[in-house]
Amino acid sequence: MSFRLPSVLPGFGLTFGFTTFFLSAIVLLPLAALVLAAASMHWSDFVHVVLSPRALGSYRLSFGASFLAAAINLVFGFIIAWTLVRYEFPGRGLIDALIDMPFALPTAVSGIALTTVFAHNGWIGRYLEPWGVKVAYTWLGVTLALTLITMPFAVRAVQPALLEVQRDLEEAAETLGAHRFYVFRHIILPTVLPALLTGFTLAFARALGEYGSVIFIAGNLPMKTEITPLLIVIHLEEFDYQGAAALGLVMLGISFVVLLAINLLQAWGRRRHVRAAH
Amino acid sequence: MSITLDQVTKRYAGAPVVNDVSLDIGDGEFFVLLGPSGSGKSTLLRAIAGLSGVDHGRIALHGRDVTHVAARKRGVGLVFQNYALFGHMTVAENIEFALRVRHMRAKARRQRRQELLRLVALEGLDQRLPAQLSGGQQQRVAVARALAHKPEVLLLDEPFGALDAKIREELRRTIRQVQRELGITTVLVTHDQEEAFAMADRIGIMNLGRLLELGAPHDLYSRPATRFVATFLGAANLILARRTPDGIQMGANTVAAAESSPGVHEHEVVAVVRPEEVEVAASRDGLSSGYFARGVVHEVAFTGALESLRLRLEDGAQAPLLAQADGEGSASLLVTRTQHEQRGFEVHPGQSVAIGVRRVHVLPTPLSSFTACAASAALTDTLSRQPLLAELAVRMKTRIAMRTEPQLGVADAACAVDSPFVGTTAIASQTDCAQRAEWLLRRGAKDLLVLPEHAPVPQRVLIHWMDEAARSATLAVSASVLRHLSAEAVYVGIFPEQSAGAQHGMRELLDARSEAQLAHGLEMRTELRFGDVAQQLARRLAEAPAQMLIVGVTELTRFAQALRGLLDGGQWPVLIVYRGSP
Repeated sequence: MSFRLPSVLPGFGLTFGFTTFFLSAIVLLPLAALVLAAASMHWSDFVHVVLSPRALGSYRLSFGASFLAAAINLVFGFIIAWTLVRYEFPGRGLIDALIDMPFALPTAVSGIALTTVFAHNGWIGRYLEPWGVKVAYTWLGVTLALTLITMPFAVRAVQPALLEVQRDLEEAAETLGAHRFYVFRHIILPTVLPALLTGFTLAFARALGEYGSVIFIAGNLPMKTEITPLLIVIHLEEFDYQGAAALGLVMLGISFVVLLAINLLQAWGRRRHVRAAH
Repeated sequence: MSITLDQVTKRYAGAPVVNDVSLDIGDGEFFVLLGPSGSGKSTLLRAIAGLSGVDHGRIALHGRDVTHVAARKRGVGLVFQNYALFGHMTVAENIEFALRVRHMRAKARRQRRQELLRLVALEGLDQRLPAQLSGGQQQRVAVARALAHKPEVLLLDEPFGALDAKIREELRRTIRQVQRELGITTVLVTHDQEEAFAMADRIGIMNLGRLLELGAPHDLYSRPATRFVATFLGAANLILARRTPDGIQMGANTVAAAESSPGVHEHEVVAVVRPEEVEVAASRDGLSSGYFARGVVHEVAFTGALESLRLRLEDGAQAPLLAQADGEGSASLLVTRTQHEQRGFEVHPGQSVAIGVRRVHVLPTPLSSFTACAASAALTDTLSRQPLLAELAVRMKTRIAMRTEPQLGVADAACAVDSPFVGTTAIASQTDCAQRAEWLLRRGAKDLLVLPEHAPVPQRVLIHWMDEAARSATLAVSASVLRHLSAEAVYVGIFPEQSAGAQHGMRELLDARSEAQLAHGLEMRTELRFGDVAQQLARRLAEAPAQMLIVGVTELTRFAQALRGLLDGGQWPVLIVYRGSP
């Protein structure tokens, strides 16, 4: 394969130049600055900041809640997408539009709204209180906020893939004797799995970076309900730029490893298919 | 019987897509459902497979009622037009799908798979993905997959639609061979009549959701019962002719019919002449068959094995009437000739020739043509353009003649036109309609269509006869009308008193239904009502829009009295079938 493929649009040199320039200016340069800031620290200081019990607690919450939120959306996002694709019902357009609301809403607004509803005297919180379930100001609230914020990513990733699942494939399987669950497991799921994984990845990545909505509902107790982005902000407010950079670097590293792992998983799945063909 | 359908009806948004279809398909039979797109044939196949439910009727497979059984438990194999192979599975996995679902052991599965691949001549392609196969190969895989679980019935939904001609031919032969080898009852859906002829033991022809006719390919081709089948199965010239004791009179000349029917009274009929049964020669003496008319060659087209001609008939007023008009409004006669015939007598456009007819088939339909009849030429012209009448004429591939009777409805006045009434006479629905109807019926009209100014194409046809003597004729006419409408048929039986009539009424309903089914292939629902005939009919007509009434009569005085209220200024099309003496 040559570096330059023929294309209908002219100006490969120009567009490629822009691409590298913007990637550098917007993504790579700030990241490099982050690495540089952290690198100017002394190694023992770096370890001290990064492995402090408070930091470890925040990692656990940030990555745990994000993973949980993405997993929840994997299931419920699929169900919502299924409903929107497969059924005709009044108000479908409205629900379809509602899915994108978390995109448009300032995240702080979502956070405040959730807190109002789930606080111990809120609309729903008040009924959960007697059962001993506390949502606001616990890890549960954090997960809830992240689930809300990342829901559109999961739905919008799966929707087009579901649209492409042909009805007659399911009908063919049915006439061959397959149960509904069998059809789902062996026909529908394999077809939409790549899209599901993409949705999961997007939701997970978005959840990791979420800040605005979480700080309102989390209560921000050190070690318990403090997410890493918040800890970074706290460091910044104390003018400890190096500490903030160090935490940022750790987040960057872990996120990169997780996303890479998912991508590799997908690539492996595709390859396995092609290999089965020969 | 392998497959039994009993009055299967499927509606979408109220309109029937499959309309009262009853059918028996025998063990090991290769049955082809043939029809244009939208005729309901695929829906019927899906209903047999269990992929879509039915609104009414029963489906049985091998004597087991499966009407409410899920598709996966019906034990059928279905092949789709677009193959519907599982793209993420190999050929082997696709074929073994049904076996895997049934938890068959791997070894037995492999064995069955090899067997099937040999059957469809695809050995060695087990590990390919569907995307790596050609269209023909994919469809073979689909057939093998559908047969894996040894279904009792194989259903094929336009399986060759997406393939090119040569592969199609090859796959046709493979499927027919596989079917014979396994002796499996097979239903194939197609819109391609050539395909139907090539494969079928029996063909069922569908149009507008109805199963119009069924039979062996040759019988259907040579003796169609309906205009639709005559023109859909190959090309046909439809000619308005008169049946006389001597034979079939077309224009000035009489040709002996294939089926003789001595002793019938003279009446108008629709004759079918296949293009290959027409002969042309330089003069009348050169013809080896019965002389028909003179004509001018209008178009010559070479189509390989056959030559196709279009002829314009000449003999002026004496010319036979072609029922079907082509694009320019004038009718032309289709002729096909073999190479051998072409060598014997070459023709070119503009040439005048003598035309002979080797074989004529007469359709049993009682509705041959329409005649619009009103008191003035202008009114007649307006009536002939009434949308429902025009639509019916187009659907029946027939013509609308005009007849002006200035004295229409005037008691004791004679007909102004000195020729007998032929076909169905149409009059406008207006204030003294019943009187006009009686006037026409007393002067020889047999079938009379009363048309309101605006009437939609009927979705339901109500059938009623006022006297038992009119039953047979009414059913025949109804069946003929309903073949051209996507409407449901409802027989309305009306009896004067609840207590006295009920039992007798029920029996009459059942008799009527079975006669409609047996003699005319017409499936109809039945309703029993009590009270005054005109009142009940009017009430029933008012219940829903887009209804039409067909009413059979043998006795005129009673008819005019009873139906005056219904006819005079009525909002519904009413077809009166009169079979009494004028």
